[in-house]
This record gives sequence, structure tokens and C-alpha cells, in this order.
Amino acid sequence: MSKNELRKGKTAYPNLIVTALYRLEDGILVALLTLMMGVAVAQILLRNFSGAGIIWGDVLVRVLVLWIGLVGAMVAARQNKHIKIDLVMRYLPKRLALPLKGIVHLFAAVVCALAAFYSFVFVLVEHADGGLAFGSVPVWICEAIMPLAFAVMALRYLMMSLIRFKTIFATNGSGVSSTRNNHPKR
Amino acid sequence: MITILTILLALLAILGAPLFTVILAVAMLGFYVSGVDLSVIAIEIYRLADTPLLMALPLFTFAGYLMGQSQTSRRLVRLTRVFIGWMPGGLAIVALVACALFTAFTGASGITIVALGALLYPALIQDGYREKFSLGLVTTSGSLGLLFPPSLPLILYGVIVQQMSVGESFSIDDLFLAGLLPGLLMVVLLSLWSLWTHRALAVPAARFSAKEALAALREAAWEIPLPLFLLAGIYGGFLAISEAAAVTALYVLVVEVFVYKEVKISQLPAYMRDSMVMVGGILLILAVSLAFTNFLIDAQIPMKLFDLIQTHIGNKIAFLILLNVLLLLLGAILDIFSALVIMVPLILPVALSYGISPIHLGIIFLANMQIGYFTPPVGMNLFIASYRFEKPVADIYKATIPFMIVLLAAVMCITYWPDLSLALLQKD
Repeated sequence: MSKNELRKGKTAYPNLIVTALYRLEDGILVALLTLMMGVAVAQILLRNFSGAGIIWGDVLVRVLVLWIGLVGAMVAARQNKHIKIDLVMRYLPKRLALPLKGIVHLFAAVVCALAAFYSFVFVLVEHADGGLAFGSVPVWICEAIMPLAFAVMALRYLMMSLIRFKTIFATNGSGVSSTRNNHPKR
Repeated sequence: MITILTILLALLAILGAPLFTVILAVAMLGFYVSGVDLSVIAIEIYRLADTPLLMALPLFTFAGYLMGQSQTSRRLVRLTRVFIGWMPGGLAIVALVACALFTAFTGASGITIVALGALLYPALIQDGYREKFSLGLVTTSGSLGLLFPPSLPLILYGVIVQQMSVGESFSIDDLFLAGLLPGLLMVVLLSLWSLWTHRALAVPAARFSAKEALAALREAAWEIPLPLFLLAGIYGGFLAISEAAAVTALYVLVVEVFVYKEVKISQLPAYMRDSMVMVGGILLILAVSLAFTNFLIDAQIPMKLFDLIQTHIGNKIAFLILLNVLLLLLGAILDIFSALVIMVPLILPVALSYGISPIHLGIIFLANMQIGYFTPPVGMNLFIASYRFEKPVADIYKATIPFMIVLLAAVMCITYWPDLSLALLQKD
């Protein structure tokens, strides 16, 4: 059985779930941007024609910036599109680049996990304080995206790292196959 | 111990670790060493939600992305060709002007080369321009226009400086005004060079046709008002920058989807997602840099840096030379957004104490970085052009050298002649 068939057979069922999750994530991102555009334009119209905008509108839009940024960052991690210095890897032979990429992604996973943990602690404290961001929406809900996004990114980098190392062991000695295909891009 | 960790982190950055993780690690390490609870990281990142101006970033990016995906580039080239193409050396100047305008809106994400370069490159060759010249021209033009409103790097610079609250305060509108003359200088110098280098070549100038002009105007009728009402809205005081961004995004959406029908509604979610992935990358870097900056200031690193520099560099001119060299090197290895968020907090306090205006510094910064877009080893535009025009990167690099020299001259003017940036701001 070729590697490809093996992969297909093994991951067909989880892939369905993964695809659904990706769709959901994309959908949230699209909804956030649409909402931001809508509220922002509504604010301008209201301000100019009825003299006053929605009181909580400005706060909502600002919180949306944070959410768009972090959900966008989650998707960027998924597509491995985060800004990086593409200086050395371009010129390294694959045999060397692969384990280094594994290490680099493992490092990213650890940093994201730490950020997730400490922002989770922060959100817990804020939850106990019980402040309101706007309307009856508590501040901690607005902040909850931080631990969530960093946790998701930590998992993603961990997976990427594991896949690199797995490829190294699977193809040890027989050259290195591309790891790209292991990752559904969308 | 700290030294070893720092070297390790630098190594990881060079090996291509996501930059936000490296910056975050540095900030966390710094806070840890100075005994600050690491939950402070979350407080810093939450500052993204405290900056109204930042709303402009996703909205302008989305608008620019949509324009890149539709036929805006074709209409823009047609329009510029009608009105500038009849001049001697017309098409080269058409290319420069069109690219500068397009880049200002699409934010120098390389889309200019893909969308406009693909139209202009064959046209230039057809008109008898040398291949090497044409290649260099379209590659260089991919980052031209960074200094024109509503350029995202300019907005980002303004956001960073406002967050630091040092020096004289200024608004993004001021920054936009300051970029106009330096940006024009670049376009003019490149145009002159194009003219001079092709002085012997009898490039046929197209004749001005009123009929074609009318047709081109009519075709772009929905897009021409955009820059006009944007500028009128901002400088007329009707719209804040963030509001202008919201209006622009919605307007472009309606025009491309419902009037020109070049973007299908079913494609919108994918375009929204793809543009927001870019925004996510930039915002996250910005967020962790806010934490990093705070650590720097706590640890008084800009002060120490200033003392260090002051003992070696006595005057403003020497400092500016150092700044130019540093920024050019930096531009060659870092993308513009990371360079801004990492370096501005370090450089700004030092520059201020040498008597450099923060507005002028912003223009110097971006003008230098613009050259970094096509300097090896990692100039993004080199690779995009290489991919788009199917030429080796080394060829592209060689083709851009003369343009780089012209732009370096422009950067020198911009750096050592502050009034070029500040003249429009001096209200009577």
C-alpha cells in the first residue's frame, strides 16, 4: 500500500470533522468582518442623520478588531502563513530543514501554550471581577478569545512539529518526502 | 543564562520561527526576569481593543484585496494610459503612476506586481522598452506608493507612535500629508530616469484620443470617486480615518460585486478570509510588540541605547546616516510590518533626542523600507516577480539595481531634507 492510500484510509473520518471545523472557523472570521463593517457604517449614518450613534457601537467595533486579529491569526497558523524571516530555510537542503522546522514549530507551540495559560489566568481574574464591556456583555467574554486563540495555535504548531518528526522517522534513510500534503491547506 | 537564551531566540527567528512567537518569548522572558506576573501579556494584547484607529487595518486591507481580485487594475492602466500615455516615455510613467496609486490602496502586499505588472510588462515590451528595464520597472513599482494615503504601513506607524505617547503628538492625517511630496519625488525621479535611459530609443507616444478618454473615464466611473471622496472626507473633517476605512470597504464591496459584477457573492467569504489571515498576522505581531515595547521601556533600554549611541555619534547627520544604513539592512531581512513594530519603539526615543520630528522619522522609515522590498536575500517583491514573470530571482535582482540607485537618491533627499516631508504641515 502506498503512503498516500494509507493516509487516505486512515484519516478519511477525522478529515470530515477537521473540514467542518475549518468551515466553522472561516465562517466566524467572515461573520466578524461583516459585523464590523455593518456596525461601523451604521454608526456613521446614525451619527450624521440622527445626531447620535449607538452607545456601545464603538466599543463593539474595537473588540471586533481584537477578535478579527486573533481568529485571523488562528487561520494563519493553520495555513502556516504567519510572518517569518524566510532567510535560511530557503537555502538549506531538505534533510536539514525538516528537523529544524520541527524544532521551530515545537518552540512556537510552547510559546503559544504559555500565552494561552497566562491569558486564561487573566480571564479568570476578570471573570471574578465581573466588569461590563458594553451593554450587558461582561469584559471577560470579550477577552476569552485570547486564551482560546493561543490554545488553538499551540495545538496547530504542535501538530505541525509532530508531523515533521514523524516524516523524518517514517522516511529515515530513504530520502524525505514532502510534508505539505499532510496538511489540508484550507 | 539570559545571553544564551537571547542567542537561542535570535537563532530561532532566523530559522523561520513565526516572528510573533519570538517577540512574545522575548517579552515573557523579560517580564519573568524582572519579576512581573506573566498575565500582563494578556493585558498588553487586549490593547488591540483599545485603539479605535486599528479598525482601519482590516477594512482597508479587505477593500484593497477586493480591488486586487477584480478588474480595477485593468481600468486603472487604461485610464492612466489615456491621460499620460501621450507624453514622451509615456508608458513607463503610466506604469509608475498606476502602480503607486494601486499600491497605496492595496498596501504593498505584492498584489501590485501580480495584478498590474502582468498587464504592464507585456505592454512595455511591446512598446519597445528593453526587457531588463521593463522587469526592473514593474518589480520596483510594486512597493511604490507606500507613502501615499491610505497606506497601511503609514497608519501602523501612527498607531505605534500614539501607543508610545512620546514626542509631539500628531494625527494620521498629518502623516498622510507628509508622505505626499516624498512619494511624488520618488515617482518623478523614476520617471526622469526612465525618460533619460530611453532617450535614444524612439518609443512611439500614443496620441491622445478624446473618445478613448471618455470611454476609459466612463468605464472607471465607479472607482474614480473613491480616492477623491476619501481625501475630501478625511481632510474635510467629515470622516475619521477609521470611518473612511469602513465606508471604503463597503463601497468597494458594493461596486465590485453589484456594479461591475467581477466578484461573485459566493467568492466573498474566501476573499474575506484570505485578507483577514494577513490582517491576523499583522495584528498579532503588533499585539505582542506592545508587550515587548512595554518591557523595553520598563527596562529603560531606549535610554541605554541612546547613551550608547550618543557616546559614539555626536550629531544629527551622523545619526541619520547610521539610521539609513540600519534601515536598509533591516528592510532586506524583515517585512515592513515586523520592522515597524520592532524597530520604531527602539528608534523613536533616540531620534527624538537628536531633534528629528516623529513625522519625518516615519517617512524616512517607510522610504527606506520600500527599497527593502526588492533587496536580496528576502525582498518579497523579487520572489513575487520571479514567480509571476517566470524569470530567475538573480535576473530580477540585476534588473532592479538601477531603479534601486534612483530610489536611494530619493531616500537621501527625504532623509536629509526634512522640509520635503514637513512643508505641507506648516500651517500659517
